[in-house]
Amino acid sequence: MPPSIHPVDLVATLRQRNLTPAIIFLTSRRACDEAMQSFEHSQVTLPKTQQEQIARVLAQVTEQYPSIAEHPLIDTVQRIGVAAHHAGHLPSWKIAVEELMRTGSLDAVFATTTLAAGVDFPARTVVVTQSSIRKARDFTDLTASEIQQLAGRAGRRGKDLVGFAVITPSPYIDLTVLTKGLTGQPEAIHSQFVISYPMVLNLLKAHPREQIQSILAKSFAQFQLNQRTAVLETKLDGLRAEMEPFGPRVCSDWITQWQVFDQARKRKKPRGPSARQESPDVAARLHFLTPGRVVGLIRGRGIILRQYRSKGQHAPMVTLLRDGGSLNECPASIVTQVFDRTFDCEETSAYPWCTPQTLEQLTHHLLDLPPRLPILPILTHQNEEIPLDSSIIQTLGDFACPTCPSRQACQRDFPRASRVRQEIQRHMKSIQALQTSLWHRFQERIDVLERFGYLNATAQLTADGEWARLIRIDHSLLITELIRAEAFGAIDPPLLAAVMASIAHDDDRPGSFPRGSAGLVTLLFQVRKLAESLAPHEATPMLRADVAALTERWVADQTLTWIGLARLTTMAEGDMFRLFARTIEFLSQLKTLKATHPSLAESADRAIAGMRRGVLEELP
Amino acid sequence: MTTHELEQLLLQQPVSLLHRLARGRISRHFRSGKRKLIDLLLQASAENRPGLESDLAALIEEQSHRQQAAPVEQAPKPKVHPRPATSSATPRPHRAEEHGHHEPPVSLHEWLSGIGVPQAQPFVPDAWQVDALAKLAETDVVVSVPTGSGKTYVAIEATKRAMQENRTVIYTSPLKALSNTKFSEFSRLFGPGQVGILTGDRREHAQAPLLIMTTEILRNLLYDAAGGEIDVRLDTLGLVIMDESQYLADPERGVVWEETLIFCPSQARLLLLSASIGNPQDIADWLTAIRPNPCALIRHTKRSVPLRAGYMHPNEKLTPLFRTAGIPYGQPHLLHPEAKRLFAEYEEETGPSRSR
Repeated sequence: MPPSIHPVDLVATLRQRNLTPAIIFLTSRRACDEAMQSFEHSQVTLPKTQQEQIARVLAQVTEQYPSIAEHPLIDTVQRIGVAAHHAGHLPSWKIAVEELMRTGSLDAVFATTTLAAGVDFPARTVVVTQSSIRKARDFTDLTASEIQQLAGRAGRRGKDLVGFAVITPSPYIDLTVLTKGLTGQPEAIHSQFVISYPMVLNLLKAHPREQIQSILAKSFAQFQLNQRTAVLETKLDGLRAEMEPFGPRVCSDWITQWQVFDQARKRKKPRGPSARQESPDVAARLHFLTPGRVVGLIRGRGIILRQYRSKGQHAPMVTLLRDGGSLNECPASIVTQVFDRTFDCEETSAYPWCTPQTLEQLTHHLLDLPPRLPILPILTHQNEEIPLDSSIIQTLGDFACPTCPSRQACQRDFPRASRVRQEIQRHMKSIQALQTSLWHRFQERIDVLERFGYLNATAQLTADGEWARLIRIDHSLLITELIRAEAFGAIDPPLLAAVMASIAHDDDRPGSFPRGSAGLVTLLFQVRKLAESLAPHEATPMLRADVAALTERWVADQTLTWIGLARLTTMAEGDMFRLFARTIEFLSQLKTLKATHPSLAESADRAIAGMRRGVLEELP
Repeated sequence: MTTHELEQLLLQQPVSLLHRLARGRISRHFRSGKRKLIDLLLQASAENRPGLESDLAALIEEQSHRQQAAPVEQAPKPKVHPRPATSSATPRPHRAEEHGHHEPPVSLHEWLSGIGVPQAQPFVPDAWQVDALAKLAETDVVVSVPTGSGKTYVAIEATKRAMQENRTVIYTSPLKALSNTKFSEFSRLFGPGQVGILTGDRREHAQAPLLIMTTEILRNLLYDAAGGEIDVRLDTLGLVIMDESQYLADPERGVVWEETLIFCPSQARLLLLSASIGNPQDIADWLTAIRPNPCALIRHTKRSVPLRAGYMHPNEKLTPLFRTAGIPYGQPHLLHPEAKRLFAEYEEETGPSRSR
């Protein structure tokens, strides 16, 4: 069985069942384009009347957007009544497809799920082929809201009695996700409030610092934080009720009192190398493990040459001469029996810890030992309660607990009371954090802006801050810092547009691009260095040199046509368009700095004028 | 439990259980066949073997409970739903059948019936649309209705009313493409001079009574106004319509919606249009808390055109997806037996370990 239905068959079945027009959501742009290609060899052609209708609608749209006339897909679309609609297309083409769908001239449109929100046209049927979607390099399951957004395109009001959402399996499908999404409740939405530098500057321009907290309190973020606070507070009430029976006793704060006493009671002697707790039998044996002593091991017997403690753990160790003449370093616990037999041993301070003669003698002794040896009986001290150290009793001073009448009740209730009290404190801390978190983040931003000199010590805008607040786009700190570093001193419009494009572009789709000029390469190197130094304060943009070069080419060479530009790169037309539109948006922010940076504003203005031609001029 | 024992135990389980076990542990687990899935599970849980084991134990127990409960109901089953002859390939027990169904599943014919174009009728606004407009005359309104219910009608009517009172209307949308579509649509409706557009790179008829813009632009205007440089006639601003308000939860741009709503002048009415979301009441409550007037919520979940769900097999066979013709809200397990059989077949045949 094929992993998924062939697009031609899919559309044929939909047609046969009278389920057209349909929107077919596919995983990627490439899948959409391939689906279109698969129609090239199909024998299906539309009836004449429908072909004419398509031609008529296209002619209408072309009047407004002439660039459509040259679109390579026009013939296919007319012949088969199917089109693709995704972000790789120019907006004008997408408008044409939408118009065709709205007039009911097309039978099917292949669209990407990623752009579901931008697919603002209804159909009778929606076909879903996947249950997950690529979000930031990773596939995540579609949420119920997203699935309902997709399925919601089915059923045109006034044109259909019923809408259909058809699922067709592909390797990217998990049926459970889709059925749950179709039948489930849409998810609750959560605030995504972030505090940006322009926000701080603009708020401080209009309001004194004291009022900011009340403004932040008006955000949906704080509203939702307050909801969480309310939940915590009900929990807190419950805990407080649980705490009732543990009210004041002989002393008003008996929990703390008992805790101090309890800790003092349990306090151990100061830790030293010798304070390590060995098991009682090892500890008892240690005294007998002297050089020359014959001992029984887990396997075989040996003669102790040295006793020492390991460096890190201070574990008791011995150096052993074993049957067969080998020297081993072992933990003292390896010794199972201590025999009542010692040999003379002349110790030295280095390996093998005794004189060579002794070693030789001992080796012989070990071999000559009788099979049975008398065992030394060793008494082990079992763990016995260590009485309160007199020094601890002294630190307790006139502590009341040992003689207090409620001592037993305290001892009994302490674990539970202390746990409840800890819980209460934890909840109170989180409530406080929830209530002040936004303000804290705002203050962090203030600190950074103060360090860079956009704000003065009283959080008022400096001269730099006054103009910097007009840059209200992503990566605003990088852009204002570039302006202050005079990176754009007397910059040419093409270079300026190129740098802005590299800052604005946030897509990592690879492709081949023309080369940038030497000036651009040096400038981008400086921009990247600055961006990296700002990394702790602001996310670093991608700063792609290739898209910068493309933009530079478009502005520098005014004779270049859109088609000529498209030939220089493998970037999709739609992506090129979006890159330029976003660059123009960034440049128009620089244009607002006319009062303080006239030459930069002038340059930005010229760059915008240079970019707006061909398709970019025609399109909204 | 040793790795080998665990592997044997996993091998004995049905694939569906393994998939449930894999959820959250392995991404795109539904692509793997049984063998591969087990390998991946063992690999993924190398650090947390006890977690896997306890989850597995819980699932097995749950399943055995189900099987104990099932026979009681399943006994009279086969007569009620005669299996199609082709279903001999799937011996595994169908889980959804444990939930008692009293009606036979919908047939394809029934499911497909009713396709067609409704008779042209004079347009009558829905009750919720009338309600929204009535509420908007007095206070801010949040509308949360399914996609394609006719939110635009409310926007257009509200705009007409505000324009009759010589008030400026601002209509914001999240995407420039949508702004452009709305611009042409509204220009056709109200006349070209009456509608202006402001986006990051486009500015036309900036003095028109109806201004279409992206939300970012409105936010910037409001900041400028707060800073003392009033650009638009914010004092004559009568109505702000925010389309696709569910963008409030957009990770990158949601903050712009919040800023706009916080700084929106209090004399202007707000009309928030949103697709179905889980907590529209929260948004209404929030706006009530920060704006002078209490905010009304218009919410309904019923689609104006009913929706049916189907399943199409790669061999072009079409069946209903659910046992009922419409979508059984809240009951995802009510799958049509035929769709379930076909999908199980699909999974069996396309699983990487089983491909022959």
